[in-house]
Amino acid sequence: MSNGSKYDVIVIGGGHNGLVNAAYLAKAGKKVVVLERRHVLGGAAVTEEIFPGFKFSVCSYVVSLLRPEIIRDLDLPRHGLEILPLDGTFTPMPNGDYLWRVNDHGKTRREIARHSKVDAEAYEEFGKAMQAMCRFVKPMLAMVPPDPATLNPRELMKLLSVGRRFQAMPSEDKYNQVQLMTMSAADFLDQWFETDVLKATMSASGIIGTFLGVRSPGTAYVLLHHYMGEIDGAFRSWGFARGGTGAISESIAEAAKEAGAEIRTKAPTSKIIMKNGKAKGVVLQNGDEIYADIVSSSVDPRHTFIEFMEPGQLPDEFVEEVRRYKFRGSSGKVNLALDALPDFKCLKGPGEHLRGAISISPSVDYMERAYDDAKYGNFSRRPYVDIVIPSLTDPSVAPPGKHVMSCFVQYAPYKLHPGSNWDEQREAFGNNVIDTISEYAPNLKKLVLDKQVLTPLDLEREFGLSEGNIFQGELSLEQLFFLRPVPGWAQYRTPIKNLYMCGSATHPGGGIMGANGRLAALEILKDFKGAA
Amino acid sequence: MAEQRDLILVGGGHNGLVAAFYLAKAGFKPLIIEHRDKPGGVAITEEFHPGFRCSTLAHSAGPIRPDIVRDMRLEKHGLKLITPEVGTVAFSPDGRALVLYNDVSKAAQEIANFSQRDAAQYPELQQALAKIGKVLAGTLRRSPPNIDDPSKGDLWAMLQTGRAIRKLGKKDMYRLLRWGPMAVADLAAEFFETELLRATIAARGIFGTAFGPWSAGSSLVLLIRAAGDSHPAGSAYFAVGGMGAVTQAMSAAAQQAGAEIRSGLEVIEVRIKEGAATGVVLSTGEEINAKAVISNADPKRTLLKLVDPTHLSPDFVQRLQHYRMPGTVAKVNLALSGLPNFTALNGQSNSALAGRIHIGPEIDYLERAFDEAKYGNFSRQPYLEIAIPSVTDPSLAPEGKHVMSVYMQYAPYKLKDSNWDKERVALGDTVVKTLAQYAPNLPELIVHHQIITPQDLEDNFGLTGGHIFHGELSLDQFFTMRPLLDWARYRTPIRNLYLCGSGTHPGAGLTGGSGANAAREIVRDLRK
Repeated sequence: MSNGSKYDVIVIGGGHNGLVNAAYLAKAGKKVVVLERRHVLGGAAVTEEIFPGFKFSVCSYVVSLLRPEIIRDLDLPRHGLEILPLDGTFTPMPNGDYLWRVNDHGKTRREIARHSKVDAEAYEEFGKAMQAMCRFVKPMLAMVPPDPATLNPRELMKLLSVGRRFQAMPSEDKYNQVQLMTMSAADFLDQWFETDVLKATMSASGIIGTFLGVRSPGTAYVLLHHYMGEIDGAFRSWGFARGGTGAISESIAEAAKEAGAEIRTKAPTSKIIMKNGKAKGVVLQNGDEIYADIVSSSVDPRHTFIEFMEPGQLPDEFVEEVRRYKFRGSSGKVNLALDALPDFKCLKGPGEHLRGAISISPSVDYMERAYDDAKYGNFSRRPYVDIVIPSLTDPSVAPPGKHVMSCFVQYAPYKLHPGSNWDEQREAFGNNVIDTISEYAPNLKKLVLDKQVLTPLDLEREFGLSEGNIFQGELSLEQLFFLRPVPGWAQYRTPIKNLYMCGSATHPGGGIMGANGRLAALEILKDFKGAA
Repeated sequence: MAEQRDLILVGGGHNGLVAAFYLAKAGFKPLIIEHRDKPGGVAITEEFHPGFRCSTLAHSAGPIRPDIVRDMRLEKHGLKLITPEVGTVAFSPDGRALVLYNDVSKAAQEIANFSQRDAAQYPELQQALAKIGKVLAGTLRRSPPNIDDPSKGDLWAMLQTGRAIRKLGKKDMYRLLRWGPMAVADLAAEFFETELLRATIAARGIFGTAFGPWSAGSSLVLLIRAAGDSHPAGSAYFAVGGMGAVTQAMSAAAQQAGAEIRSGLEVIEVRIKEGAATGVVLSTGEEINAKAVISNADPKRTLLKLVDPTHLSPDFVQRLQHYRMPGTVAKVNLALSGLPNFTALNGQSNSALAGRIHIGPEIDYLERAFDEAKYGNFSRQPYLEIAIPSVTDPSLAPEGKHVMSVYMQYAPYKLKDSNWDKERVALGDTVVKTLAQYAPNLPELIVHHQIITPQDLEDNFGLTGGHIFHGELSLDQFFTMRPLLDWARYRTPIRNLYLCGSGTHPGAGLTGGSGANAAREIVRDLRK
């Protein structure tokens, strides 16, 4: 019992951002305790043995954008992080053909040429253009958003410098950048390519985790994320973690512990303790009170400000903004334990094509129709499914000869139309996903030994993701950069002194990036200095 | 020997007329060449059936920028504006009417019939739009800055804009930043719970665009329109004699200032020598030379059709080809033997019909209408933007009879497996059927109808892709990006060739803004 025990910082939530936050603070010599609600660490970046012998990356399933500086600073490889390559994307088509892009440019080029010579040419150009864009955007991901409303010259200089860097770009890049920030993924790709299946598969990355369709303006930007990795040089961003995504959280946790952080699981927070307008600590659901100079919350704003705090402790306008902040979960997850590998009609037998991502995204209209269903409160009759079979690359996660198949499914709107609810729809939703994949891999049904279906409602209940949004809030333009999560509060601080935010609901948003936790830690340390 | 002129304006739409006026005022001698039988572009009034006159396309002004109305002294040139006290009336299928008066408190009273909460919110939104609109109006009046090397004037203008935005105060400043890229359905939902009110306001963010209310960026369209008129759902700006009266007054003003107008002549080519425009060639083969050529036509028509693309860099041509102009509206004009009976008004005073009429009772209704267009079909339950101008201007129809002007959305320019000649009749029927759900006696009142498809808009009015705003009003085609980044200042890669139409900043609607801004830049160049 550590009643009344005194820490420098309490980090609420042991997700990857909370852990990164704790690790950086501990490395700076702060006395830190991490409080995780569940029995396992990792939040949405977690590996669990759902069925005996079958280990699943339950939610997040690929390493996407983990910041290289974090991997270096925390020396994660030494703490057990091993990234295995996730090579390529395989898109089966209804007409029996397929599109299979791999990291080998030559191969991919020849493959695309099968569909369109023009696109094969354009693909190279596109890659180059995207990398140029990344060079502009990347620094922003590693930057505390400026506040356009202040008169603080430092902030305005930051804004100006962004403007300057934009101005300094060659006209071609400016043009692409502006389009990327504003256009829909489909419109943007239409300018480059003619092959429908290629556009559909690429556009998919623009909608993941948002309640937008591939034709919705603002979805083009996320296309960039797929190219971020390319310029991280030695370290490839796209891949699996050996032992599943949870291994990433584990390695970060190890780094944090080594630096002296204390980490508790099964320690759900119930309230933030306030004393004369300042955060003083937290009360756990078991009544334990833990005190600290600073409380850093990696959970989403709804939990932090609505659940953990009393009405009246925050300015009304702020609360209003928090309530307005859009979550709108739009995706679900289906995890399958398989007796053997699925066999795709268009490319039979086990092969390299099963080792990468398998994308059910045959056409742009298919993607858009999936969205249309969701707009009116139904799960997509034919959803976009992003499949990986990690057991092929990392046998340790399944019994010999058997496999785990992870299916990310969009759209699954958190709010179903009136008269329908997820507890009733869960089974139908899961089966619909299996049916959808079976249209391309008919033997799948026979192979399913067990299945775990996670609806947006389950993501909320199990992982505390409000409305089941995997990014702790929609990545739409009006909720990015200095507007995330609340205009005027994008710098990890809150209206409450000594209370900070460090989760995906802050800039630069979701995905296993860790940047949020790191940037928040740096801001917290700044304030420690200021106070000292 | 080709005729030598001072300046040539290709096309006499409202922006062309405004530009010509200001150029003439500055001492130049502009010659406007209009391919139709009279100037006016999309703002014309025509007798489409004996005794029945109607605004063929646009039926309500943007409104015209007040300073332009003043400078051109349009009233003195015969323009009589009508602004009915009812801005918009919206009908719901269950037979209810939402009457939005221009007077905010009166509107709030009406809204109270649906929701007290919304009634209280309405003035709040109106004031926010007024404040934000004022800031935007300033930006719309200026030429977009030159990003690569901003001039002193540009920097000053940017500073002014920055100041104005700050003056808004944190709350409204963040609103501006947050709303811009947002879906108008979200904006409406932030303020109101009444579905009919939400949809009526959201409509202002999607009219004339390839957006649905759930499309991100549709709020910006609403904000831009609020710059001229802060009523959340927009007001009605009619003119005695229809929209044609507006451009007639403009023609008169331009001519009096010294501009000349020749109608019924089509420009088929802009002549270019050593990278500079030297004049135009008419369909008659006649050639006219001039110091500069100013095009009121849309950017694609001007630079990809009238100009031989070999004079442009492949890169520029490719960008321009990517400039999006997906037309989504059709127009149906009806000659009526009497005033239709809208169930919701059950016979009571027709004053409610004096303004604009909105059909599109729910956000989902509008979004579903949009969905069909995405896949190349026209909406079977379309969103309708309607005016019955004869209610306030009896001169448009024979005694006791009326004309009804209906904008139908969505009617995609590109149909999936059909063409507009085949679908023309079906389109008209769809509009009438939809209206009959709200005014059952409408069908038997119809004396004559005129159907204008997106194809007609391109063929007869020269609107590429049938886009009434000369290009999509999307974030990536606004301000410094309209029509293209680096070319948002009314100039083109061809010396002495300028743009002054809706395809340039600020674009949206019948405001004259593009024409006035363009004239300012052109004068600056020609005086060098």
